Amino acid sequence: MSRPLTIAVAGNPNAGKSTLINALAGSRLHVGNWPGVTVEKKEAQFDFAGRSIRLVDLPGTYSLSPYTQEEIIARDYLVHEKPDLILNVVDATNLERNLYLTMQLLELDIPTVLALNIFDEAEAKGYRIDVKGIETMLGVVAVPTAATKNRGLQELLAAVIATADAAADRRPKALSYGTDLDQAAGWVTEALHQHYPELAKRYPQRWLACKLMEGDTELGKEINLDTTTLLAEPLHHLRRAHGEDIEALLAEARYALATGLTFEVLRKPEAPRREITEKIDRVVLHRLFGIPIFLFAMWLVFKLTFDLSSPFGDWLDGMIAGPFRRWIEVGMGAIGAPDWTVSLALDGVVAGVGFVLVFVPVIFAMMFFITFLEGSGYMARAAFVMDRAMHTIGLHGKSFIPMLLGFGCNVPGIYATRTLENPRDKALTALLLPLMSCGARLPVYVLFAGIFFTHSGTVIWSLYILGIALAIVMGLIFKRTLFRGEAPMFIMELPPYRMPALQSLLIHTWEKGKHFLIKAGTYILAVSVFVWFLLNLPWGVESKRDSYLGQTGAVMAPLFAPLGFGTWEASASLLTGVIAKEIVVGTMGEIYAPQADAEDTGPTPTLGEDAREMVVSLGGAFQAAGHNVVSTFGVSSLAAEDEDGATPLKGAVRSAFTPLTAYAFMVFVLLYMPCVVVAIAMRQEFGSWKWFGVAFAYQSLLAWTVALLVYQGGRLFGLGG
Amino acid sequence: MTLAELKPGQRGRISAIGAVGPLKRRLMDMGVLVGEEVRVIKVAPLGDPLEVEIKSYRLSLRRTEAQGIGLEVPA
Repeated sequence: MSRPLTIAVAGNPNAGKSTLINALAGSRLHVGNWPGVTVEKKEAQFDFAGRSIRLVDLPGTYSLSPYTQEEIIARDYLVHEKPDLILNVVDATNLERNLYLTMQLLELDIPTVLALNIFDEAEAKGYRIDVKGIETMLGVVAVPTAATKNRGLQELLAAVIATADAAADRRPKALSYGTDLDQAAGWVTEALHQHYPELAKRYPQRWLACKLMEGDTELGKEINLDTTTLLAEPLHHLRRAHGEDIEALLAEARYALATGLTFEVLRKPEAPRREITEKIDRVVLHRLFGIPIFLFAMWLVFKLTFDLSSPFGDWLDGMIAGPFRRWIEVGMGAIGAPDWTVSLALDGVVAGVGFVLVFVPVIFAMMFFITFLEGSGYMARAAFVMDRAMHTIGLHGKSFIPMLLGFGCNVPGIYATRTLENPRDKALTALLLPLMSCGARLPVYVLFAGIFFTHSGTVIWSLYILGIALAIVMGLIFKRTLFRGEAPMFIMELPPYRMPALQSLLIHTWEKGKHFLIKAGTYILAVSVFVWFLLNLPWGVESKRDSYLGQTGAVMAPLFAPLGFGTWEASASLLTGVIAKEIVVGTMGEIYAPQADAEDTGPTPTLGEDAREMVVSLGGAFQAAGHNVVSTFGVSSLAAEDEDGATPLKGAVRSAFTPLTAYAFMVFVLLYMPCVVVAIAMRQEFGSWKWFGVAFAYQSLLAWTVALLVYQGGRLFGLGG
Repeated sequence: MTLAELKPGQRGRISAIGAVGPLKRRLMDMGVLVGEEVRVIKVAPLGDPLEVEIKSYRLSLRRTEAQGIGLEVPA
């Protein structure tokens, strides 16, 4: 067998499609994106019974209409790539609605196998499903499966191969949509054969006829032909008998088949048990307790994401900054590498690698919890509870979670926007997200507020509130400008609660983390090296003032003069803060209070000592993570760490700023452009730099304007400056 | 009478779908069709959206979306 069997996996969202694919493919799964869009594409290739099988997971859809990205991807693939077989994953607990998609898939005249998934749950509910009956009526093979329990998978693959081998006589039955529709479809097909034989060859006939009759816009664009005369007669007949709306007529005909079939094959118990989902929802969506419970759940997700991951981030950071760095330094010293290459390797490359790695644990943790929330069914409830509030500023109920994560770190927040299906909702959420003050901005606030204000806590709190307030304002502005027009619809299934399969969760989390490491890592490394050059060029530069960074700072300084901090030191710090906002503090430390060789403390540890230390401290990280989970009230990583030995810096800052300019500076740090990692996350999630460009433009303007208002307003009220 | 006017626990039969374009198609794809029986289960804590039962599964939609769905309510 040279060519692998290509199998497109199609099905409704929440039908357990991902879990089924994970169970079939396991670690052979490859996650990428569909070309040109950022909808996730899963693929796997493996052998079964001596045959090579390639699974292509189509986005979960309820239909093959031409309106959502997911549906267009699914139908384009099915119609144009012509897979050998469709594996239709059907939720056995919700046959009727799932079979509606099946009806549309059968129109494509591609050999099809049905996986009656979640069959165990259907049985537990007392459903009796006549599998043979389904097979007879549809003319396809149907296999009961329970992907979470690895049930029925071998049988399913065997059925897939048998069907593919018998492809010629295993075409699905042509199902009747009723005499009038069948007749009209027949006329259309005939006319197409006569007038456009090319077209009739390119598309499945019945599908083409149905789509033309329902006036499918996407197909219309694709074939770019005037079919008015061709359709006039059949449509006229249909309209006379059934009214104007042919699209509704077809939808009703498909549903009528699905409903009729379900009625024939499904026996539900007389007295249905009160379902667990209903019981949970009664509490979770309660009129009074719904919101407090939701907020508690979100607090838990936030704490777990950041507390669980931070010890590992710290450990990685320590490893890179400690032993790893030392080894490279020693190694390069031994081969006699020039000083500047050592500096480039350590402060450019190693620092960059460290910087990327520190993000990895938090991305993993975030993906794990987000996937859990989605798989369990709670994500839909979260959207349901929060939609009213979020909708007022043009967002979707699901926007809340990415925004919330943003307070820890904007980067996982941006990645979490993938839970939003509509591109408009997603873009707007990502645009407002950087206004949520992340953990990296806190060290800047702590330094400045600590120096200039007695009630520093209150001052820091005010910055968080300012960010949220401006997000609301900007949301309202965007809703009326860039995102004008009808808000995307909400129409969303509230699926039954289910325990997600651990294997599926882990695979998904791992794939996403890996993706970040490779894709984002490359960019971040490049930026880190670039900044090193900025700091160290021109060759042999002595003081920071004369480096390209210092020079750029000096050029930009007048821009910040109206805001009260028009010095090259402040500008240069803000520039490096683009990598990560906490670096503002580090750069200020280097500029204002350079420390001469403070690093040489004690004897250098040996290789063996280093290795032992790495293992011991990893153990410590696990311990700390466990501790953080147990006492979720434990000291959070986000709590400000008071920098030791920052006293010279504090003195310098005290003389360079006033309380008013310090506040203006903090406001600017809060609002100005998102850091590089956020930029890269946005690039990855949206497939282009467009939305980052918008964020960059509006945030720069907003930061400058608000800081200006603070400083000039403050002066007006005689607050000194 | 529209779906938006039903109180939790009340049911009705869909008599008309006023929506157009993508919204109408999406509703139809989700089984919101003329003649179908629908029951309001819950209203979100903040008063919007609604949770309804249709074709024996749970669907949520905003009030504005429910306003376009005409109902016949048994007396």
